[in-house]
Amino acid sequence: MTTFALVFLAIAALFAADTYLARMESSESAIEATRLFNEGQAMVARGDNLNAIERIRDALSIQRTNRYYQQSLAEAQLAAGRTADAEVTLRGLLESDPTDGQANLIMGRVLAKEGRFPEAISYFHRAIYGQWGQDVPRNRLRARFELIDLLAQRDSKEDLLAELLPVQDQVPRDLKTRTRMGRLFLRAGSPARAIDIFRGIVKEAPFDADGYAGLGESEFTEGNYPAATRAFESALRMAPADDSVRKKLDLCHELLALDPTLRGLDPAERLNRSRKLIELAGEELSKCVAAGSLNQKAGRVTESNVDLAEEIWQARAKECKSQPAADDPLALVMARLAR
Amino acid sequence: MLSLVIGALVGLVVVAFILLTGRLAAHMYPAGGSGWRRVLVPVLGSLSTGYLLWRYFPSARGSGIPQTKFALFIDDGRIQFRTVFGKFFCCSASLASGIALGREGPSVQVGAGLASVVGRNLGLDAKQVKALVPAGCAAALAAAFNTPIAAVLFSLEEIMGDLHAAVLGSVVLSAATSWMVLHLVLGDDPLFHVAGYQLVKPAEFGVYAVLGVVGGLGSVSFVKLLLGLRAWFMRLPKSSVWLQPVAGGLTVGIMGYFVPEVMGVGYNYVEKVLNGDIVLKLVVLLAVLKIVATAVCYASGNAGGIFGPSLFIGAMMGAAVGGVAHSLFPQSTAGPGAYALVGMGTAFAGVVRTPLTSVIMIFEITRDYTIIVPLMISNLIAFFISQRLQPEPIYEALAQQEGVHLPNVHSASQTDRIQVRQAMRSGPVVLSPDLLVGTALPMTKGTLDAWPVVGEEGLLGMIRNRDLENASSSGGGDKRLAELFDSPRGHSNAEQLPHVHLDHSLGLALQRMGTSDLNVLPVVSRANVRQLLGIVVLDDILKAYGVGKHE
Repeated sequence: MTTFALVFLAIAALFAADTYLARMESSESAIEATRLFNEGQAMVARGDNLNAIERIRDALSIQRTNRYYQQSLAEAQLAAGRTADAEVTLRGLLESDPTDGQANLIMGRVLAKEGRFPEAISYFHRAIYGQWGQDVPRNRLRARFELIDLLAQRDSKEDLLAELLPVQDQVPRDLKTRTRMGRLFLRAGSPARAIDIFRGIVKEAPFDADGYAGLGESEFTEGNYPAATRAFESALRMAPADDSVRKKLDLCHELLALDPTLRGLDPAERLNRSRKLIELAGEELSKCVAAGSLNQKAGRVTESNVDLAEEIWQARAKECKSQPAADDPLALVMARLAR
Repeated sequence: MLSLVIGALVGLVVVAFILLTGRLAAHMYPAGGSGWRRVLVPVLGSLSTGYLLWRYFPSARGSGIPQTKFALFIDDGRIQFRTVFGKFFCCSASLASGIALGREGPSVQVGAGLASVVGRNLGLDAKQVKALVPAGCAAALAAAFNTPIAAVLFSLEEIMGDLHAAVLGSVVLSAATSWMVLHLVLGDDPLFHVAGYQLVKPAEFGVYAVLGVVGGLGSVSFVKLLLGLRAWFMRLPKSSVWLQPVAGGLTVGIMGYFVPEVMGVGYNYVEKVLNGDIVLKLVVLLAVLKIVATAVCYASGNAGGIFGPSLFIGAMMGAAVGGVAHSLFPQSTAGPGAYALVGMGTAFAGVVRTPLTSVIMIFEITRDYTIIVPLMISNLIAFFISQRLQPEPIYEALAQQEGVHLPNVHSASQTDRIQVRQAMRSGPVVLSPDLLVGTALPMTKGTLDAWPVVGEEGLLGMIRNRDLENASSSGGGDKRLAELFDSPRGHSNAEQLPHVHLDHSLGLALQRMGTSDLNVLPVVSRANVRQLLGIVVLDDILKAYGVGKHE
C-alpha cells in the first residue's frame, strides 16, 4: 500500500510539474515564434524572400499548427519563385481544412504562376466560396477580382463575363472601381454594359477624363464612331496631354472621313468614299498578297467594277434624256461590254 | 492495473525528461549566443556528466537499450533507482549541452528502471518484475516518440526478441496509458509535421531501392565506426574513463562551431528537411558529420541513445538521394522531403535492425500512410545489406564488447526445445593454466576428451586430450597449459572461445561441437563469458535425446 501511495503521489507531483513546465515552454515558445515570424515578414517586405522563408520556417518549427504562419510561408515561397515548395506547404494546409479561403486563394496564385490555369481557376473558385475568418464579403470579392484579373490576362472573354456579372452589383460604388468594372466588361466583349457604366460615371462626374476615355473606347468597340469621337474629345478637354486618347480620336476622325454609310452625306460624297474604299482596299491587298495571287484577286475586283459601271450606265440611260455622242469612247466601250 | 500505473508514471517522467532537456538547452544556448558557446558548452557538459556517470552512476552510461536487456535477461529485471535517477539527470544535461545523441534509448532505460523499482517495491517476484520491464520500455518509447504502436512493437521485437511474447497485453496497456498522458500534457502533435507525399511514378521505386542501398551502407558504416571507436576507447586505461566523454563533447563542439545543425538531437532540422527545405551539399555534409559525431559521442561514454541520430542520419541520406534524383528526373520523382522521410526508416532498419518497428514508427511519427510501400522496400533492402555486412546487430555487438552475451531472436526461438541446462554437468573438474602438461596428462586420461582451463580471470578455453599428448610427445611436457593457448590469457577474443549458454538448445550445442571439433563445451554465463557454469558433453546430449549409451 505504501508503495502504491508513493507512486500515486509521484504521479500527481509529476503531472503538476509537467503541466507547469509545458505551460512555461509553450509561452516562451510563442514569444520566440512571434519574434521569428515578425523578422520573416519584415524580410518579405524588403523582398528578401529566401531568408524570410528560413525565418518563417523557424517560427513554424515552434508553432507548427499555426495556419497563418503556414500561409505566410507559402506566400514567401511563391514570392521567391519556389512554387513547388509553396504547393507542398499549401497541400498540407488544405488537407486539414479544404475550405480555407486564404489557403485556396494562395494555391490559385501558385498554380496560375505555374501555368496550370484550369486548376488555378478551380482553387480561386474554392477561395471565393470558402471560409474566411473575418471580413468575409471583402475577402471573397478580393478573391474574385484576382480570378477576374487572371481571366482578363488570358483573354478568356466568356469566363471573364461569367465572373463579372455576379459581382456587378456587389462592387463598391466609387469611381475607380466602376471604371475598372467598365473596362473589364469591355475586355469581356460586352461593350454595351461598359457603355452603361461609363455613361453613369460621366453623368455623376462630368469632369472625369478616364470616364470619357472609357466611354469613347466602349462606343468605338460598339461601332458608334461619332459618339466615340465626342467622348474622346471630351476626354481630351479634361486631359489634353493624354496622347493615347488623342491617337484614338485621330483614328475616329480618319474613320469618319472614310465611312460612306454615315448619315447626312450627299450621294456624290458617298460615291467618292466608296471609290476611295475600293482604292484603299486594293492598295491594302497589294501590300500583303503575292503577285500571281494578286492578279487573280485583281481580276475579280475588275469584274466587280465593270458590273458596277454597267449598272450605272444603264441607270444613266433611264434617267438622262440626252444620248451620248456616237463616237464617245465611253459609250462605245459600254456598248461592247453590253454585247 | 499495474500496467496502467506504470504507463502513467513512465509517461509523466519521460515528458518531464523531454521538457527539462528543452528548458536546459534554452538556457545553455540563448538566442543570439556566441559561436564559442557551441564549443564550450558540450565540452563542459560532457566533462561534468562524464564525471558524474563514472563516480556515481556507472550503469547509466550509453544508450540504455543494451543495459535494459542486460537487466531483463541476466539480472532478473533488476535496475537500481540510482541508475534511473542518474540516467534522467545526466542524460538531460548531456543532451541539452548539444551532445549528438538521442533521448529515446535513455527514456527506455528510465521507463524500464521505474517499472523494475515499482515492481520490486511491491514485493513482486523476479518473474513478475521481468514481465513489467517491457511494459516500462513501451511506455517510455510511446511518450518519447509519440508512437504507441511502434513502442509496443519495439518492446517485443528488440527488447524481448519475440513478437508473440506473453506480456503483450501489459505492454499495450502501458504504452497506451503513457501516450494518453503525453497527449494530456503536451497535446496531439506528431514528432514531425510532414507535407503529404506520394509516389509520383512507379519507376520511382527504383530510386527508393537505391536509397535502400545507400541507407544500408550508411548504417553499416555508422555501426562499424561506432563499434570500432568503442573498442578503442575500452582499451584506454580505466583511470581515463571519467575523461573520455570529453572527446565526444569536443568533437561535436568543433563540428557545431562551423555547422550548428550537427549538435543535439537535431529534430528541428530534420523537420525542415522532411518538408523539402534542403541544400544538397549541406545534407550530405550533415550525414557524414552526424555519423562521426554520434559515433564519437557514444563510444566515448556519453549518456544518450542512437535512435534519434539514426533518424537524423537517415533523413540526410534520404534527402541527398532524393535531391539528386529530383534534379535529374524532376517530372518522375517526388521532392527530396519524401526521400528524407523514407530515409529515416531506412537508417533505423539498418542500424537498429527492427524493420517492422521502423515502418510503423515512421508512419506514426509522420502520420503519412501514402509513402508506406516505398518505405517497406527501402527498409528491407537496408536491413538485408546491414545484416550481410554487419551480422551482429548493434545492441548485441555493444553488449559483447562488454563481455555480455544477450540472447537474440535465434536463441529465443530455441527456448521451447531441450536446453543445455538439462544436460549440463555442474562443478566440473577444471585445470589450472599453471599446471604442467606432463602433470595434466595422467589426470585427464580415460574420462573426458577435453577440459576447461580456468585461471584468475575465469575460463581461458578448452584443452583436448590429444593437444596434451601432442605437446608431451613433442617434448613439451614441462610446458604450462597456458602456453598451449594463443595468448597467456586464453582466447584473446571471447568470440573465439567455443561455448554455449544455459538457455541454448542442445541442437545448437551439437552444432558448435561440430564447428569447434570438441566433444565437450563449456557452459558460460551470459553476463560474463569467462564465468564457467558447467560443461556439456556429447554423450549427455545423446542421452537427453534418448539415443545415448544407457548404463
